[in-house]
Amino acid sequence: MNNQNKVIDLVSKPYKYGFITEIETEKISKGINEEIVRLISAKKKEPKFLLDFRLKAYKQWLNMKEPDWAKLGYKKIDYQDVVYFSAPKNNQKKSSLKEVDPKLLETFDKLGIPLSEQKRLSNVAVDAVFDSVSIATTYKEKLAEHGVVFCSISEAVDKYPDLIERYLGTVVPINDNFFAALNSAVFSDGSFVFIPKGVECPMELSSYFRINSNDTGQFERTLIIAEEESCVSYLEGCTAPMFDTNTLHAAVVELVALEKSSIKYSTVQNWYSGNEKGIGGIYNFVTKRGQCKGKKSKISWSQVETGSAITWKYPSCILQGEESVGEFYSVALTNNLQKADTGTKMIHIGPKTRSTIVSKGISAGNSSNSYRGLVQIGPKAFGARNYSQCDSMLIGDQAAANTYPYIRSQQPQANIEHEASTCRISEEQLFYLQSRGIGFEEAVSMMVSGFCRDVFNQLPMEFAAEADKLLALKLEGSVG
Amino acid sequence: MAACRQWVEYLPPPDGVLEKCQRISRQALMNFGLPTHELEAWRLTDLNRLKEILNLPISAKDNELKIKTNESFVKAPNNIVQIIIDPLKNPLESTNLPTGFKVLSSKELQEKLDQSKLYDSINENWTIALNHASTEQILALKIEGKELPPLELVIPSQAGFFSPTRVILLLEKNTKLDLLQVVSGSENSAQSHLIDIEVGQDAELQHNFIALGGGQASLLAQIAVNQMNGSNYSFAALQHGWALSRLEPRINQLNGKAKTKLKGLQISNGKQQLATHSSVQFNGPEGQLEQLQKTAASESSHCIFNGEINVPQIAQKTNAAQLSRNLLLSNRARIDTKPELEIVADDVRCTHGATISNLQEEELFYLQSRGIKAETATSLLLKAYCQEILNNFHVDASRWFDINNLLARIK
Repeated sequence: MNNQNKVIDLVSKPYKYGFITEIETEKISKGINEEIVRLISAKKKEPKFLLDFRLKAYKQWLNMKEPDWAKLGYKKIDYQDVVYFSAPKNNQKKSSLKEVDPKLLETFDKLGIPLSEQKRLSNVAVDAVFDSVSIATTYKEKLAEHGVVFCSISEAVDKYPDLIERYLGTVVPINDNFFAALNSAVFSDGSFVFIPKGVECPMELSSYFRINSNDTGQFERTLIIAEEESCVSYLEGCTAPMFDTNTLHAAVVELVALEKSSIKYSTVQNWYSGNEKGIGGIYNFVTKRGQCKGKKSKISWSQVETGSAITWKYPSCILQGEESVGEFYSVALTNNLQKADTGTKMIHIGPKTRSTIVSKGISAGNSSNSYRGLVQIGPKAFGARNYSQCDSMLIGDQAAANTYPYIRSQQPQANIEHEASTCRISEEQLFYLQSRGIGFEEAVSMMVSGFCRDVFNQLPMEFAAEADKLLALKLEGSVG
Repeated sequence: MAACRQWVEYLPPPDGVLEKCQRISRQALMNFGLPTHELEAWRLTDLNRLKEILNLPISAKDNELKIKTNESFVKAPNNIVQIIIDPLKNPLESTNLPTGFKVLSSKELQEKLDQSKLYDSINENWTIALNHASTEQILALKIEGKELPPLELVIPSQAGFFSPTRVILLLEKNTKLDLLQVVSGSENSAQSHLIDIEVGQDAELQHNFIALGGGQASLLAQIAVNQMNGSNYSFAALQHGWALSRLEPRINQLNGKAKTKLKGLQISNGKQQLATHSSVQFNGPEGQLEQLQKTAASESSHCIFNGEINVPQIAQKTNAAQLSRNLLLSNRARIDTKPELEIVADDVRCTHGATISNLQEEELFYLQSRGIKAETATSLLLKAYCQEILNNFHVDASRWFDINNLLARIK
């Protein structure tokens, strides 16, 4: 077998998280209408402002068209064939983990996210979300000592309604796009983080999302608010079982950074991507946006995208405050018939704002991997700077790598630089490493790892190891 | 839709060798209607100005053609074959073609039109449809030889009128030619120009394109080039002075192994909107592309660049490099640039880059610290910036413009 074929085989590794948890769930009937929206709100005992928010979003959504500009060519989604709310039975939030269904704990254990006290990761607080609801949040008390609020969004609606009312929908307006409007109408759960003024969050915060049932869409909503001079690092992981049907995931993430605060948001996305014939997999249509509201605030997105049949995701930064900083570091690996259309938007509004974009795309099999990004410098962004780099690596001659950077400037005292290149794992490079006694698998792994290093360096320690492992895992095996 | 329908209805009935083209295009135009901002290709175009083009009457015979530059420049030196393309007259009436240049007979022309994918492209591309709906004359030449005199095609404008012009050039195997096109606009003229070029096997074409507008003039120009293997096509364009101009070089390397060089310069001031929408399609292995697009936008002007590169699976060992460099010189000006790469082949080298900034303070400071006035330093740097593109122009092309004059207009 020649090396090129070996590389192709190497990237085809079965999905490890594809198991299903047999658990009794409570689902509402399929379909979406005003009654369903009201029902979800009632189930969650929400205040009136939130119901109004949902209904307004639903009405706007009805008048919106599903976007097709990314030309992802997926089957039309029947929005009446989706269950918009599903929760494990007895979903009363438990006062202690002992009361949580052991099956659920076992599920998260299997996923490598132990929630029970003796096993949990020592310096990471985890919020575990199963289908539509949050199961458990660890280290809440310790965080509370510092004044940090980390809980599910439903709990936040109950305990801190004024914060929710003030910030929800301010960064991603309900009519922002088709999927954001849908999410605003039916969002079920998600995480809420509030870091008060002057506090540096003592540990990493993390959410773990698990889709379990095959006909339930997951619509989580995350809201992170960092007050003046605060600092937080947040991680997000996702997996789903293997089904032959496509499951819809339309999340909205909103970040608000006030003066001199910093938010680091990292994602390792490993939803089920469908089989080699493109059957099944998650449709991942996510709207993520951060607003650097205050002077010298900073938002940094880092993501490792390896799963999902279709990914449609552009984590963005609105750089409003003077000297605010936006960053985007991304690795996207696609294989088989996966399609990833991802990138970022850096909107420079305030003066002396800076942004950095580093995007690495690896495409194998028949997949297609696109970088689509916007850098926009407004007329008042005096002294703004942007640097973008997007590199693609192609494995096999059937995979596609596309780049669509949109660049616009209206400010002469701003500098924008964009560069991009395409490469492949060449026979010569492989030969060089192998001739020095390095095994084939390791050689490929090293090269991919090296290609992605700029991004991995940006991930928090715990995640960097996981991401490297994940890529190695996707690349591992099947070499004779 | 109504604007297009009305415009089409105003046209004389389809006639002549281009009768079929006219018929198909008019139907296509009526189906399209006016482009909208929802179409990716027209996202940034000033559609009001586009609409104004359709309000102009088509060129009429008794109007005076204007070539807007110093009259003494117009006369070509003896060694140049100069053809002035009037939308209504047979362009060859007053020209004697030297050996190596042959006019296509109407039968050959008809065959050519039927063979090419022209009719499909009419239905896909608004600019092509607009041109074909209204063109009555066509200049179609077959060119063969190694030691040919340079060919100069001058396309003048008529103030207050819309003039469509159409050219086909077929470069035979091993032919070598220097081609200069000059398009000039004046007052509120509008032009639609379409040139089809076939660069035969191992042939070489140096193509210079000078588009100098004036007043409220508009230009929609498309340069469609098909390259055979071993051919070498190099294109250098200068755009300035149009209320709306849109240059669309579309290169297709039919079997690969060809070389393409695209160099462009857009200098805008006032309220001009200058755009280049290039597209390079590699349909075979071992193709090469070297592209450099430069813009300098001042006052309230707007410069646009969209550079599409398509490398399908068949195009292994392609080597393509694209760079878009932009100078934004005023607070009110705007620059949009979008490289667009679609790659399926794995054994390729494709790079692209884009920058937008003002002149570098450090460079200005360096010159000033050596006793050069700020103003002189600025114009020196601007000139050097443009020179990288202008170096690709033929010696004879420089008599059509004075770069110092052009740069003096940018503030």
